[in-house]
Amino acid sequence: MKTDIRFTHKMLVEKCKTGNTSSQFELYGLYVDAMYNVGLRFLGNKEEAEDIVQDSFVDAFKNLNNFKYDSSFGAWLKRIVINKSINRLKAKKIPLVSMETHEFYLTDEEPLEATETVDVKKVQWGIAKLPDGYQQIINLYLIEGYDHVEIGEILGISTSTSKSQYHRAKKKLLTIINAM
Amino acid sequence: MDNFEKHIRENAAEFDEHKADRAKLWAHISTELQKEESKETKVIPLWVWSTLRIACFVVLLLSIGGFIGFSIYKSGTPKEQFVSKELQEINMHYKDLLAYQVELVQKNPNLSKEDKTEFLSFMDELDTEYETLRLEMHKNLDNEQVLEAIVANYQKRIDLITNLLQKINDSKKLDDTYGYTL
Repeated sequence: MKTDIRFTHKMLVEKCKTGNTSSQFELYGLYVDAMYNVGLRFLGNKEEAEDIVQDSFVDAFKNLNNFKYDSSFGAWLKRIVINKSINRLKAKKIPLVSMETHEFYLTDEEPLEATETVDVKKVQWGIAKLPDGYQQIINLYLIEGYDHVEIGEILGISTSTSKSQYHRAKKKLLTIINAM
Repeated sequence: MDNFEKHIRENAAEFDEHKADRAKLWAHISTELQKEESKETKVIPLWVWSTLRIACFVVLLLSIGGFIGFSIYKSGTPKEQFVSKELQEINMHYKDLLAYQVELVQKNPNLSKEDKTEFLSFMDELDTEYETLRLEMHKNLDNEQVLEAIVANYQKRIDLITNLLQKINDSKKLDDTYGYTL
């Protein structure tokens, strides 16, 4: 029988809700690396990523009783890390989306040279070279797997803006990758 | 979703190439959680705890004692409560009735001052007798003699009022007859 993904590590999560420290440490061990990588992708800085991950785990354990399995624990925790990272970027006045006007948005009609077997390393370098305002949307859609409705909520933009921004960011990314 | 996007999403795990400094991060997290825990549950020293326990125990004893004492004083047994309530209602009824009658007698212009004084002195005597009986009743509810005496007391008062009314009516009749013969 297939188990609902939302209930992954349910027993452990329930023990953590009672304040059991060893369970908290076990759950932390399962997710810390993934969360650290999320933080690094958004903030691009080891210290800041560590800071965000620490705060996110503290917040998660403190508010675990509010977690009602509407998503998996990992997805819930990742959302905390991402929200904190976005807030940190906002505080530093780093643009979350491109400042370019949206009127010139081109649809998929423009052919993109999508190389399906592109090396992950190249993609990482390409993302790192993207201008401010493009990196977040590429991270959110391509790597973190959010849809445009969710990205709209996270970044505080409309779904259509998310779509247009993403397409432009992807185009730019592919241009960078192809130039390597 | 094009092939490029599919390829990236399928291999998203490869992007998680960095390892966190687990011990360092956990040290901070556990410290923060402990801080939070100590905020929620303040540690009470043992001596304070013992004193509190004794104080609570004394307060509890006093409360229970007071409550039981008050209950005994106030209500007695359920049977007594019921009978007492019934008697109180009867008593209130007669008391009001008699007070009304006494007031009527006092204001009645057809009665002589002597008659009024005589009537009221009888009523005062019966009131005193009634008070004594009422106290006796509290001491011993099942005493039939006391109950009979209370009933007799009420009866006397009612008779007294009836007689007085009779007297008033008789005087009216005399006046009427006198008027008629004229």
